[in-house]
Formats: sequence, C-alpha cells, structure tokens
Amino acid sequence: MTTTRRNLFKLAGGAAAGTILTPVPWRLITDTALLSENWPGVPQPKRGEPSVRFGNCSLCAAGCAVRARCIGGQPVSLAGVVEHPLSRGALQSALRNMRSGERCAVLDLRPGRTASWTYRRAMASIPNGTYLSASQPAAVDLAAVKTILSLGVPVLDGWGTPGNVLAARSRFRLIQAEASESRTAIMADEWLPIRPGSEAALLAGVTGGSIAEAAAQTGLTEQQIVSLERELRENGPSLVLGPNGEVSGDVLVQRREAPVPDEWKKAVPVSELDSMADGSIRVLLIDESAPGDYLPWPAIRGKLAPESVVVSFAWSKEGYGRQANFTLPTAVYPEAVDDIPPAIDCPVATFRLAAAWVAPPDGVVNPVEFIAGLAGLDAKNALQERASAIQKSGRGTIFDPAGAGKPADLWKALQNGATWIDDGEAKARAKTADDKKRSSALLEAKTADDKKRSSAPLPLAIAMAEPHTPALVSPLCSKVTYESNLRLGTHGAALHPSDAQGAGLTTGSRARLETAAGSVTVDVTVDDAVPPGVIQVGGGPDLQNVCGAALRARVVRS
Amino acid sequence: MSFPKSISATLPFAAGLLIALAAGWAAFPRAIYKTVRQPVNFSHKVHAEKGGQKCDDCHSFRADGSFAGVPTLDKCAACHAVPMGTSADEKSFIDQYVTPNREPHWLVYARQPENVYFSHVTHVKVAGMKCESCHGDEGSTDSLRPYQEDRISTYSRDIWGRPAAHSLFRTAGGMKMDDCVDCHRRQGLAHSCLDCHK
Repeated sequence: MTTTRRNLFKLAGGAAAGTILTPVPWRLITDTALLSENWPGVPQPKRGEPSVRFGNCSLCAAGCAVRARCIGGQPVSLAGVVEHPLSRGALQSALRNMRSGERCAVLDLRPGRTASWTYRRAMASIPNGTYLSASQPAAVDLAAVKTILSLGVPVLDGWGTPGNVLAARSRFRLIQAEASESRTAIMADEWLPIRPGSEAALLAGVTGGSIAEAAAQTGLTEQQIVSLERELRENGPSLVLGPNGEVSGDVLVQRREAPVPDEWKKAVPVSELDSMADGSIRVLLIDESAPGDYLPWPAIRGKLAPESVVVSFAWSKEGYGRQANFTLPTAVYPEAVDDIPPAIDCPVATFRLAAAWVAPPDGVVNPVEFIAGLAGLDAKNALQERASAIQKSGRGTIFDPAGAGKPADLWKALQNGATWIDDGEAKARAKTADDKKRSSALLEAKTADDKKRSSAPLPLAIAMAEPHTPALVSPLCSKVTYESNLRLGTHGAALHPSDAQGAGLTTGSRARLETAAGSVTVDVTVDDAVPPGVIQVGGGPDLQNVCGAALRARVVRS
Repeated sequence: MSFPKSISATLPFAAGLLIALAAGWAAFPRAIYKTVRQPVNFSHKVHAEKGGQKCDDCHSFRADGSFAGVPTLDKCAACHAVPMGTSADEKSFIDQYVTPNREPHWLVYARQPENVYFSHVTHVKVAGMKCESCHGDEGSTDSLRPYQEDRISTYSRDIWGRPAAHSLFRTAGGMKMDDCVDCHRRQGLAHSCLDCHK
C-alpha cells in the first residue's frame, strides 16, 4: 500500500465514520450544553449553613418587613414578617459655572428618608441649592375609614402597605371608579366604569363641584353621582383617592416626622418641581437609587437651563438615565443600606433600615456620599446619628421581629430588622381644596395640550394601568413584571378585541402608540376587560413620558 | 506484503475507522475527566465499624428538615480535637485542618448542579429510601476514591454514571434526570419539571 492523496482521504473518511460511532461527538455536544448552564459567567450561590435574618425591603414605599433565609450568610429567599405591626406580612465644573439665578437641585424620588435630610443639608451649603421632591400627601388612618372612593388607584394591588390594607379590608366599603376592570375593580365592593381621563371631573363632582359636568364627562348618571356623594357623607369616615396622588377625606392625619439631630434643621426646605421657574436649573442630580413615583421627563426638561447638566444615580439606565448626561451606577436592595420612610397608610412616624445583605459590585456610587461630598459634608454616619436622636427623644416603641424585647442599643436592633414606631399622636389634618384645584388644572392642561398639538384623530382614550409606578423595576421583581402576565410590562398596552382587530393587532404584536406628546413602541395585549375605545398602558418611563401628559392616543401596527 | 486489490482499496478506510474507534472508546473517556484527590483520606469503614457511627450521625438533617450534607469541621473537631490514633492521615488532618480551624474543601461526588433541587428529607424520611440506593457502598469504603470531574461541563462523573458509553447508549446507574424519572416511573410516582427545577 502506498501513501497517496486518495488513501489519505480514505483514512480521514474512515476516521470520521469511526468517530460518529464513539461517544466523542455526542458527549461534546452534551457537555457543551451543560457548560452553558454552569460556566463561570453564571452566578453560583454560596453553600453553607442556613440562617435567618430580619430586615426591611426598600424596593417600594411600603417598606415591608422581611425575613431572609440565608445560606452561608447570603440571602436566598425572602418572606414577609406576619407579626409586623406595619407591614403585616462630574459636576464640580458645572457647579462653578452656574450663572446668577440658576440652581443646583437634587430631585429625590423617595422623600422622607435620612438621605433626603442629607440632600437638604448639602443643598444648604451650595449657592442656590434646592431640594426637590414630589408632593407628599397626608397620611391616611385606614383603621378608621368606612368608605373609600378610589379613582383608578390600585388600592388592593400595591397601594400603601399591602398587608395593612388587606388587614383593614373587612372594615371599609370600596368603590372603584375606573375605565377598565382592573384587579382592584374586580375585588372592590362596587366598580363604576367611567370614561378614561374623567377621574378629576368625578372628584370635583363628589366634593362640591358641578354634578352635571361630572355626569357629562364620566358617563355616569347624575343620580349615581348624587348617591355616591351621599354615601361618602353619610357612611363616614370616608376617603377619596384621586388619580394623581390627591387624597381627601375625614381620615387624613398630619404625621410627625421621626426625630433628627438639631444641627440638621438648618437644611433647605422641600420644594416641588412645579414651583421652579422654567429654565432655572443648571445642575440636576436625580436620585433613582430608591425609586418612587416617576415624574414624566417633559415636566423636568422644561425646568432645565440651556447647557444644563443632569446626573442620574440609578441601578438601571431604564429611567432618567436615558436622558441624563451622566448615569452613575448605584447599589440596589439588598446591596445598600437605607432607611424607609412610612407609607401613605401609616399614620405615625417610623424608622427602619433596609440592610445590605449582599456585597454590591465594584464601581457603584453611593449617591448620598457623592452629593454630600460635593457640599463638603460628611454623611457617612447619618443613619446612625438619626437613630441616636430617635433614642434620645424617648418617643415611640420598638418592634423586634427576632423577639428580643426592648433593645438597649436602637442602632444595633435596627440593623437586625427592628422597627421604631412613633407614639400615636397623629393630628387630624384639615381638609383643603388644593388637591381638587390641582387635579382640575391638570385635566385642563392635558385637554388643551391634546387639542393644541394634535391634528390627526386620536381615537383611543388612555387609561394608565399602573398610575403610581417607579421608573425602575427591581431585578427582584422582573418575573412579575417581565415574565408573567400578572402586570402590563413597562412597554405593555392592552386593547379591547374590537379595537385590536381594527388596527390589525393581536396579542404579542408590536405597535406604535402615538399621542400629542410623542410616540413609543408598545407590546400589545388583547383584553376583554378593557372597554372599547380605551387603551390601557403600563407604567414604564417611556409610556409615562408619552401618555402622562395626554388624554388620547392611537396605535399603528409597526 | 501485498493485498488483493479490493482489500488494499478499503484498507485506509478501515484503518481510519479502527483508529477513531480506539481513540473514541479507550482514550476519550479517560481524557474527558480530570481526577482530583480528596483533601483528607477519610475512612467511612473505620468510623462505621470502630466508631459505631451511622450515616445520619454526621450527614444529618437540620431542625427545619433540610439536609446538612457533608459535615463541617465543627462536627469532626468534636471528636478529633486531639489525635485519635497515630496514623499519618490522622496527624495530617489535625495539623492541616483542625488546629488552624480550616474547613476541608470536600469534593462531593453526588452534588447536583445549581438548577436542580433535590430533597433528601423527602426521599429518606418520607419514602424510606436507604442511603445505599443512590450512594452505593460509599458508607463502607476504607478510603475516599478520587473525584472525577468532567473537564467541559464540570459535572461529577457520578452524576453521569460510571460507564463511559453513557452518552451514546443510555445507561442506568448515574444521577441524571433520566435516572430520577425512571425511578419515579417504576414507583408509580407523579413528577413534574417544577418538582426539581424550581
């Protein structure tokens, strides 16, 4: 036998045929598939002895008490604490270049924290420093309420502290006025289907405004509105929750704030974004590390000066990070230590911590230390200083989920999940007409905006599915928000079958949603529960930017 | 030496075939696994026979029902705070781990990957299975055999079963998903994806 090219090909052919009859190719395929499940890029949880830790979650305003099951010190599962009484269950150069009358402002999406005090103190040390936050409604004493009129507020679906709301549920009658049959509407005692965008008119109608006007806008009869107003009056104490955070009724209380050290009181006052002159903010620092209600970007943009610098502190670029000049990455719960202000349904002041149970990745920035550093303020121990002030005040009681009794060291107990609860000396809040005025003004502005900016017909009325939504969705909640049908996603929109058919859309289609304020791509869901002529949209930042300042929309298949 | 023309025409092909078969069946199964020695030459036999210990004396269930698995150094040190005997292995264990309080890095033959949830308490306490049903005669061996790890997937050889042909011909004896499903079928037990893949 001689070595020829033909024989070499035959040898290679034989080797190839033989290889197929061995485990080699099949095993390599299997192992490569398995490698994809276990390669070094896939995070591996620690192994070790199990333990239990207590703390508080800071992902939303409710601040629920949490029992964490840890393995080797790392949390692997979180559960509520049933016994808990509340939750039951580069800038320096820009700063120097500010012109007279221009401001450096911090926008705090979750006011009421110790961090908020640090921002206010820091802004007091900076010329024209301003602290901005969304307006804070009065606290609600749910234990006393007998009738609630909710104008599209998801009372039974995430509003307030869910455990507290459900504990009080049997004591109040819930009337849900909303365009679509939401989860709260399904579980309410009565659902009043009203036209989208007519919530403010109904609010005015039941609080002394024109009943005829309310009936014309909402689609309800005058008789229905009169009997609604009578029920709120006669079956009190009652509570009315408006679509833009308005709260009115007989159960509002003026909640005291948890004590702070005396030297902190030289801080700048709290200002609302609306009170700022247009074009007056040169440097805007937005703290999104503790998400709160999203303020649509167009409202912020109008307040910025030319050549302004916007810095967002966030753990995702999904929020204001898309518009900011700089986005500095921050830690997310449970990687960061923060305190949690009381939720709207907590009538007394509280103080509790969300502990850092997992080490944050390298390169993250602590917004509090960053902003305090700009002002030359040392705020590393602010939380501990506040705990000392609270203990010194002698006020309140302490709930310790580990059942260790009254602790001698409040700071140590707080780190282990304890909650300081103020004494119940909340004062009743006088009723004001501000909320009603604000609501009406918003409605008028939206209507005028729609008329002014839109020449094309917009056949669909917009209903927000998640009216009070943080800009950012925590990675811990991604299964609920992105991987299930439990909620409309951050780019989700739901249509009645007849409207979907008219637009040539089916569930899963991608469409362009257009309003007078702009357009955005949405993922369509066809849903019988949405009335014809209505489009229900999710709570993502893009949708809030485009739909938050508009009443009507249209969808076009993309 | 000369072959008839028909044979010499097929000889190169046959040679290639045989070389590939030999390499694939003899060399590949050895090459795919990396062999690692256990940190301590532990004898289950000595502990069971001389120490009179049972499996669950060391591989115990916690108060919440979860399985503690391989015992931590605390448990070993309870008896081995001082040397129990004069063997070199005993001295090495005391010097390298007990005295400096350093946890041995045991290599667990039966460790399932992270995407599998296996409940020992369900199988042992509820179903009454013996440890030997899955772990064989590990409890009576005089020394720990070397740990063999797949160089690509990083799985233990025990998961895939001892025979080398397992990936070409389906074989029993491992701790793969198919082995779990087969056993459940034989026992007439219901099973679903979410039982193990939470």
